[in-house]
Amino acid sequence: MELLIQAGIALAKILIVITVMLLTVSYLVYFERKISAWIQNRRGPNRVGWYGALQPFADVFKLLLKEDIVPSNANKFIHSLAPFITLFVSFATYAVIPFGPDIKLFGRTIQLALADVNIGVLYVLALTSLGVYGLTFAGWSSGSKYSLLGGIRSSAQMISYEVSMGFSIAGVILLSESLRPMAIVESQYGFMWNALIQPIGFITIVVSAFAETNRLPFDLPEAEPELVGGYHTEYSSMKFAGFFLAEYANMIIASAMIVTLYLGGWQFPYIDKFGLSMGLTAGIQVLSFLLKMALVLFFFIWVRWSIPRFRYDQLMNLGWKVMFPLSLLNLIWVAALIMIFNI
Amino acid sequence: MPKITINGQELEFKAGQTVIEVARQNGISVPHFCWHPALSVSGNCRMCLVEIEKMPKLAIACSTLASDGMVVHVDSEKAVSARNAVMEFLLINHPLDCPVCDQAGECKLQDYAYRYSSGESRFEEEKQHNKKRVELGPFVMFDAERCISCSRCIRFCDEIAGDKELTFTKRGDRVTISTYPGEELDNPYSLNTTDICPVGALTSRDFRFKARVWDMSKTNSICTGCARGCNDEIWVKNNIVLRLTPRFNKEVNSYWMCDEGRLNTFKFINNQRVDGPHIRRNGQIVKTGYDEAVAFTVSQLKAYNPGEIAFLGSAFASCEDNYMLAKLAKGTLHVKNIDFARHLIPGSADGILICDDKAPNSLGAELSGVKPAPEGLNFEGILEGINSGKIKVLYCLEDDIAAMSPEYENTLSKLDFLVVHATNHNATTVLADVIFPAAAFAEKNGTMVNFQGRLQRLKPAVATIDMDRSLEGMEMSRLDKFGTDFDKWAKKNRVDARASWKMLQTVGSLMGLKMKHQISEEVFADMASCIEAFHGLDYDVIGESGIKIKVNNTAKATK
Amino acid sequence: MPEKKREKDLTIAEKLYIPEIVKGLGLTLKSMFRPKFTMEYPEVKFIPPASYRGRPVLVQEESGTERCVACGLCSRVCPSLAIEVQASETSLEKERYPVKFEINMLRCIFCGFCEEVCPEEAIVMSKDYELVFRDRSEAIYGKDKLMVPIRQVEDRIEFLRNFK
Ligand code: SF4
Ligand code: SF4
Ligand code: SF4
Ligand code: SF4
Repeated sequence: MELLIQAGIALAKILIVITVMLLTVSYLVYFERKISAWIQNRRGPNRVGWYGALQPFADVFKLLLKEDIVPSNANKFIHSLAPFITLFVSFATYAVIPFGPDIKLFGRTIQLALADVNIGVLYVLALTSLGVYGLTFAGWSSGSKYSLLGGIRSSAQMISYEVSMGFSIAGVILLSESLRPMAIVESQYGFMWNALIQPIGFITIVVSAFAETNRLPFDLPEAEPELVGGYHTEYSSMKFAGFFLAEYANMIIASAMIVTLYLGGWQFPYIDKFGLSMGLTAGIQVLSFLLKMALVLFFFIWVRWSIPRFRYDQLMNLGWKVMFPLSLLNLIWVAALIMIFNI
Repeated sequence: MPKITINGQELEFKAGQTVIEVARQNGISVPHFCWHPALSVSGNCRMCLVEIEKMPKLAIACSTLASDGMVVHVDSEKAVSARNAVMEFLLINHPLDCPVCDQAGECKLQDYAYRYSSGESRFEEEKQHNKKRVELGPFVMFDAERCISCSRCIRFCDEIAGDKELTFTKRGDRVTISTYPGEELDNPYSLNTTDICPVGALTSRDFRFKARVWDMSKTNSICTGCARGCNDEIWVKNNIVLRLTPRFNKEVNSYWMCDEGRLNTFKFINNQRVDGPHIRRNGQIVKTGYDEAVAFTVSQLKAYNPGEIAFLGSAFASCEDNYMLAKLAKGTLHVKNIDFARHLIPGSADGILICDDKAPNSLGAELSGVKPAPEGLNFEGILEGINSGKIKVLYCLEDDIAAMSPEYENTLSKLDFLVVHATNHNATTVLADVIFPAAAFAEKNGTMVNFQGRLQRLKPAVATIDMDRSLEGMEMSRLDKFGTDFDKWAKKNRVDARASWKMLQTVGSLMGLKMKHQISEEVFADMASCIEAFHGLDYDVIGESGIKIKVNNTAKATK
Repeated sequence: MPEKKREKDLTIAEKLYIPEIVKGLGLTLKSMFRPKFTMEYPEVKFIPPASYRGRPVLVQEESGTERCVACGLCSRVCPSLAIEVQASETSLEKERYPVKFEINMLRCIFCGFCEEVCPEEAIVMSKDYELVFRDRSEAIYGKDKLMVPIRQVEDRIEFLRNFK
């Protein structure tokens, strides 16, 4: 019985998370278009539904109705597999992100995370590096030079930035002494946010996150002017939509990671001192998590429409000659802090 | 040889030549309006003024005889400014008409205004006005405002057509061309005046406003109006023939052609064509496919013995077509009754260009083998044979036999089976059992032999349904070059017709004729190897102006 | 390779990048709150100035005839071979007129060369930019669609007189 209930709760959580995730992804696209329009003094989508609110559904229908074209000299199997790898990896990553504290419902403690794994951070790192396979496969199997170049670029870029990303996360782990996301969030009580304690690490992780998600200014794998569409040049219909969704899902994960690791996760500073009821507190905390994520996502979009794309050599220079040393510096800084303040 | 120096070049000349002739011979252009190589010198336009050393004033190159040691400057400062002045004078009363003028694009005045005029006029007064639409004759329209009084048209009528019809009237800036009282510009060569008129004063009423010259393609070919075979250019726009103009050939037609040939030999190409093969089914002529028409013909031909079959070639078809017919008749079916109809109108020759023989290729048809085999029937014999019931099947190439006389029409109606190759529906096709659509002379490559025994080329100017202009190497207008399948003008106006030799070859191949020629040049090569008169010739040797061949005495020419 | 000469060397602050990026982000953030330029087309229509080159039209005189004399210059100059003119004779003073005047709007690139070359001010670029067709043949505009009363194109003709 207990097992069944546990399974039921897990399933419910999965369903809720997946639905929210898919909705967020589609609305993220909508907001991307809206925000870019605002930045460019335009109006953005405003025809389908109230202020264009149904635009995402129109987009999905459009993509569904498109013909699925597979180039004749593509490796059919891998070509079809690639978008699913990418999509699977990005959704699976979400399993370990905590979006609220433990709550008590009907006498049970429910964790507001799909799985509170004690090596959660490693899991995230591992999965995101798997994601690169999706893009590389797509690039290689399409049988097109543009796709191939896009695929190669994405693997090189991901590998380079994973290093600085890893080191910035190492700083966080040093402080929290745990690989468990829940523990990392709990360690940032009050204003002890890692972003404030280790600003350099914050900068490096944000930059790396941009690179890892292939977002402008680091969207070299799909650089339209040079590579048509990069790794997804030869994709259409729902397979293309897969890549599209994955990109935005990755953004959500990246922002969730940044919030969790550096911006105090679901913590709302000193909320336990306000003397609110248990339920309300949890609600505010979940909301604050979502709000923080929304802000980071807005930042992602905002940057995309403000900063032009880097050149490939600049990207590599930045990765290895700037970001990597900076993240090392951050590690030393954290170590020094621990030494001095003995935390 | 005496020598003259023009523009620093030392040139030899024959005594009696004028400066302009020597210059022209050597590729030096001296601008001129009134001078024409085939007409007498008039010297009234003053455009050809050149500077000659040791002469006190500028001299007109058209009437100054070249002499030994003469030094001429065509482009010296004085000559250039004189030309500029002449242009300014000519343009004083010339209307600003180019947009509505048919000559635009091939107008000497327009060209020279660009090349030799300063583009300024100091004349501020009202221009002289004059009649703009004068019908000088049945074919020629005159615009008095545009005339520059060069007198070329007058001299043409006097000297070439031999019919004094035109003259100048009035004086000064009112001078104009007019016909003599009671006369009309109606000599059989009147339209040549529109060619030589350097401006748009004389225009062809037939071609007037039909098309701009720069929108048409022009193809070198020959006129098929009579046995002269005047060299001409076929002007085509949107795959429709719009006009023919003469092309210089010293041996055949000089610069001229007659009105009849110019106006009436191309119109049949543009309308009422036989479009696709037709056969008679249940008494009705119906359109059908090539395969069916060929199969029907072959089955009928096989059903009769050679003595009951006759073939008629055509003096309107090319040598290639006639050759293939003769091969089919004599070589494959062993039919001895083969000849062609003559189209003579004795006494119609005028000693200028027009011939008695109204068909262009009588000599060629005969040379190509269309003549009765020993013991075979000739044309009259064949018709008699039909009347007597001896001949039951007639295979007739591109000739309207039934229209020649009601008697012939009656004769043809007695046949059991009549196959016709025809470009247009006519009196003969009405009686036919099978009609093969024939490409007209302007739709195929080929050769014809004129009455002088001169072998000349036909070139395709109009595309049929299965021809591609660029692949065939046809002349292309601006529009042809850039047209796509979606442009009306690129794919419209095409008939489904084939060169007769191709159809004959197809019919023959089902009956044992062993020929597989793809293009007419191959047919000609075949002819050159087995017909003595064509030995050593090919299309390149024939060239643009034809070549005289040795005609043996059996083939007699009729002027 | 010789050292590249720069307009000015970057200062330390600029080399640090971050302040510059923040400046850029500030700019885009500011422009998010600026008024929008978008003209919401089917409801609000753009009325172009006289200098605008919409679809070419033929000028129709007060008398109802076209000004065109079918000289064919527009057809000759048209870089995309969009115009087909067939002239014919008229008893009017101008002698020729176009029996057929067709512009293939799928070919036209709105360059205005036809207008520039016309000796009669007979073809001008209108303000009409709404060109919709459902098949190729519909895109070929004949005289019926091309002729526009002179009143409607007066400002364009005025513009041409001043600036051509
Ligand atoms: S005659 Fe020549 S110059 Fe005169 S209006 Fe005609 S085209 Fe123009
Ligand atoms: S009508 Fe023509 S050919 Fe005759 S005089 Fe005038 S310009 Fe010369
Ligand atoms: S250029 Fe002008 S006058 Fe000439 S055809 Fe075109 S519209 Fe008519
Ligand atoms: S605007 Fe340009 S492309 Fe269009 S019809 Fe005129 S000349 Fe041709």
